[in-house]
Amino acid sequence: MLALGAFALLAVAAFAAPAHLVEPEPSRSFAGPLDAWPFGADRAGRPLLEYAQQGARVVLGPALVAGCVVAASSVAGGLLRCVGDPRVDAAVQGVGEVLGALPRMVVILVTALLIPSTSRGLLPLAVAWAVLASPGAMDEAAAVAERLGGARFVEALRAHGFSWTRIFLFHVVALNLRPVVVRQAAEVVTQVTFLELGLSYLAVQDAQASFTHPDSLKSWADLLYMGYPSIVLDDIPTEHALWTGLAMVALVTAIAKFATSAARAR
Amino acid sequence: MTAWWIRPGVRLIAAIILPLVVPAIITLLIWALPGDPAEIICPPETCGGTAELAARWNLDAGAWNFFRAWMGDAAAGEFGRSWRVEQGLPVRDLLDESIPTTLMLVLAALVPLVLGAVGSATGLIPPRADGGFHTVGLVPAVVFALLGAAYVELEYGAQSFLPGANRLRLVLGALVLGLADGAFAAAVSGVRGLFAAERDQRYVGIALLRGERPLANMLPNVAPALAGQLRARVLHLLSGTVVVEVVLRINGLGDLLWAGTLLQDFGVVLAAATAFALVSAVLLVIQALVEIAVAMWVRRAPTVRDGAAASPVVAA
Amino acid sequence: MNRPTPGSTPPSADRRGVLLALGIASAALLAGAPLSFYEEQLPGTLSPLYASSMADHRAQELVFDRLFFHSAIDNRMMSRLVEKGELADGGKSYRVTLKPGLKWHSGTAVTSKDVCFTVSAMLDPGTTSPIAEGYRGVLAGCDATTPQVATIRFTKVFHNPQERLMFSLLPAEKFAGKTAIVPDDDFSQHPIGSGPFKGNKGRRGVTFEAYANAHHAPTIPQMSLQEVQDPLVQVKTLQSNGVQGIIAVPPPYRPDVSASDDLQLKSYDLRSWWFIGVNTKKGALVERKVRQALDLVLDRSDLRQFTVGVKPGEQNSPCEFISGPFVQSSPFYNRQVPVKEKSDRAAATKLLNEAGLTQIGGRWHYKGTPVTLNIGMMASLDVEAPDLLTQVGNQLSAAGFDRQESKVSADDWARKVVTGKASEFDLLIGKWSFGLVEEVNDLFQTRSGTTTGARNVFNYSNSGADQLMVEYNQSRTDTAAYDAYHKLHRALAEDLPYLFLWKLDTKSAWRTEVRGNVIAPFNYWTEVDGWKFQ
Repeated sequence: MLALGAFALLAVAAFAAPAHLVEPEPSRSFAGPLDAWPFGADRAGRPLLEYAQQGARVVLGPALVAGCVVAASSVAGGLLRCVGDPRVDAAVQGVGEVLGALPRMVVILVTALLIPSTSRGLLPLAVAWAVLASPGAMDEAAAVAERLGGARFVEALRAHGFSWTRIFLFHVVALNLRPVVVRQAAEVVTQVTFLELGLSYLAVQDAQASFTHPDSLKSWADLLYMGYPSIVLDDIPTEHALWTGLAMVALVTAIAKFATSAARAR
Repeated sequence: MTAWWIRPGVRLIAAIILPLVVPAIITLLIWALPGDPAEIICPPETCGGTAELAARWNLDAGAWNFFRAWMGDAAAGEFGRSWRVEQGLPVRDLLDESIPTTLMLVLAALVPLVLGAVGSATGLIPPRADGGFHTVGLVPAVVFALLGAAYVELEYGAQSFLPGANRLRLVLGALVLGLADGAFAAAVSGVRGLFAAERDQRYVGIALLRGERPLANMLPNVAPALAGQLRARVLHLLSGTVVVEVVLRINGLGDLLWAGTLLQDFGVVLAAATAFALVSAVLLVIQALVEIAVAMWVRRAPTVRDGAAASPVVAA
Repeated sequence: MNRPTPGSTPPSADRRGVLLALGIASAALLAGAPLSFYEEQLPGTLSPLYASSMADHRAQELVFDRLFFHSAIDNRMMSRLVEKGELADGGKSYRVTLKPGLKWHSGTAVTSKDVCFTVSAMLDPGTTSPIAEGYRGVLAGCDATTPQVATIRFTKVFHNPQERLMFSLLPAEKFAGKTAIVPDDDFSQHPIGSGPFKGNKGRRGVTFEAYANAHHAPTIPQMSLQEVQDPLVQVKTLQSNGVQGIIAVPPPYRPDVSASDDLQLKSYDLRSWWFIGVNTKKGALVERKVRQALDLVLDRSDLRQFTVGVKPGEQNSPCEFISGPFVQSSPFYNRQVPVKEKSDRAAATKLLNEAGLTQIGGRWHYKGTPVTLNIGMMASLDVEAPDLLTQVGNQLSAAGFDRQESKVSADDWARKVVTGKASEFDLLIGKWSFGLVEEVNDLFQTRSGTTTGARNVFNYSNSGADQLMVEYNQSRTDTAAYDAYHKLHRALAEDLPYLFLWKLDTKSAWRTEVRGNVIAPFNYWTEVDGWKFQ
């Protein structure tokens, strides 16, 4: 419930995000949360709430898709181990080892650069990241399936008269693989969120078009970048931006954590 | 039952082919990027030598020819010169500086992760501490790194690339890598989850009844999974080095990979990617050896009688 | 007629100069710490043939000598290398006599062979440099008649030959006579020049060691160039004396610098002006009235206030509006063409209606389809004018146009925008920087191979404008050149291939311990010999 609640909050924020920030209001430059409720304002006096909303729109969908991709791979990895064919295992493992050895940020950056700057978004990068993270998830799910007994487990359940569908979907996936699948998916959701933050900053640093979202949108990275100087330097009134950004990240992490806990509960 | 040697065997084969396959895949990827470095430096509309430059850099005969030529030179230890990242500098010089730096960074970042893993496996780190670790892990690596970079710059000013400051950058980078982005929390909870699942197995209960230590019983069974987790963590750290090295301005492989890809400096990207592949290959070999060692031990240990346990586990 | 080169000194004074230089250099070497400064970015190369950013040009100015240059003090044409220069062959060549005692950083003498080597390198098709390409239309060859005398041949007679010889001199010995100079030569990292400093490029900065010479006597023994991305950290480090200078302080941070007694803001004349390029071949923008309407929709005063931070009516503003492709202080600027500071929506609406656009639901439509403007901006401009892209988009949206905004990286700018291949954009926000000679033909002339219109971003073509630019090329006096460009200014202000925005002063910040720091337009370090650091 907590996970769903936090997700609903972010989803509403993303849905309500404005397409463009409002007009500047210099008189409210860096206003605090009390003067510009609820999160304060930026240098141009624009509310940080809009940054948070746009950031949610940038991150939420792609992160969830990435989580689903990893979850699906994880399930596939576990099920393939239950099939018990050593050739299949070896092939899956071989491909996984090669994918896992690719330098991820190169693949991500190339994916970003292949997309025209007028159409950039986080989704292809999130999917690419999920594909690269899949071998690890498949490995772990396969290990869980193997501890169950793999093909022997399946044979034993068949001997009890259960159908293939029930065996694989309920006994293998729902009962046994669920915790590891959800945990892996949740980890990737948070990884994609952090990936977006990193890439957004690197785009600014390298004077590039944004890699993760159209340049007309702001992301949570803009909040963090605006806010971090308030820690190292005096008289920079941007703490509210930093806390807002961290709160957004905390929400995503909370969703992941609660979902993982829920999946472990029986 | 699946032959025990297949998995480690696949890993060893993968370790051998990685230094060939990874550069090939990376070549295909960067070849797909729009434009090419010859056109960027000497656009045909404003500069007449684009074709000559492309020919000099082997860009005019397709990705396969470029890759073949590069591999041939690389096998002889010749990585050419950087086209754009450090224009004119031998790529080998860049690698000589970057590889040890990144290895030190990753090894230093592994220290808190390994300590955390050991702590959670042995129960020294109680589960209630996980909340604190998750809170620290909320802070994205890029923010920690920015803070660190700003601190070094303000503290050292123009001297911020002297050895003392560079050491500080490395330490800060290792802390960022090890703690931020939930890395430490994930390591602790990942190992804890692994052992928690294993603790539920019947053989552990039986071992406890026999008065044996559960950890000693569990370790051989979780060792392959642990090795896999460790390898995944190292690879995750390696991918995290990009952000950390770029922001903290550490002269490592991650920084080279990022700059090389952005600037389409193919020689630098391939060399750095091959270095990454070699590190992955070493990790694969280590993981394979762990699996082989565990399998050997399993085969030498006395088996549990039929009916006493459903799963092929080892009694300590 | 033989004339001494402006700025040359008699031979006996040169020997005294050498001794003085050596003395000063020795004293300076015994003195203090290096002078450190932050650049906008690290130079990509120290090879003058491959300079692609202003940081490259500035760094190379410390290491190399240009054959001729404009004095930063009185704008005269000068040379530190040439003792005597004279036209020959009816103006089709120029004979230079080098000063004696000039040395490369390697210790060998600078001779006419180096002059001719440099010319040959630029003419060699194996030198894959856009800079060299530019000289191929100007230079025809070079002959070294004696070790001190070289005759440089032009492709035609120019009214300002010394302006055509402002290239950096390269050492023949370093290349073993090979004139095809490639970008990935070691020279890019470890150059040998004849300038006041020896340069050594590292991964995180460039160090410069003073090199006393017959024609240079730098008093600062060492300098170091670094890069820090965050301007706030730059300013704070400067305030705490972690570094001594920042080459370009973005406008939002200048008040902090001005407020400090230990720092001074100094003007750096880049002759740069900002523009919004208009794709005159796309959609509704084909219509001149639509372009004129866009020009009226823009409220430049608001743009300036919300991005650069200059309030309306502010005195001594660093940001001066322009109405054409020159800065207001330029002799080419036509003061009869007024600037449009504020928007005029009513006039804009009238023009759009006349152009055949219709407004449906508050959005403009052209030939039945809604007008969506794809706006790009050179990404690096966001540092100097934060949010400019968004503000331009907001104003166009408020006027009834849909819009899409994206930034353009430096590589894409060089590869697509400058070469006229960025046709997916309707509008492009950019900035051009010039030296003291603001030749804009490359920007507006009809593109033809690599010879004309080489930087025509949207392949603009207008026969009237072309004719005016030919008139400029053929002018033999300054007055004729000014006249041609005045007319071009007016023509472009009417036809609007660009919406001209402003000139934004670039300001450097230096600690007060740095004295005598005359900053040369464009190249910055031309007068570095006179800089002192206590």
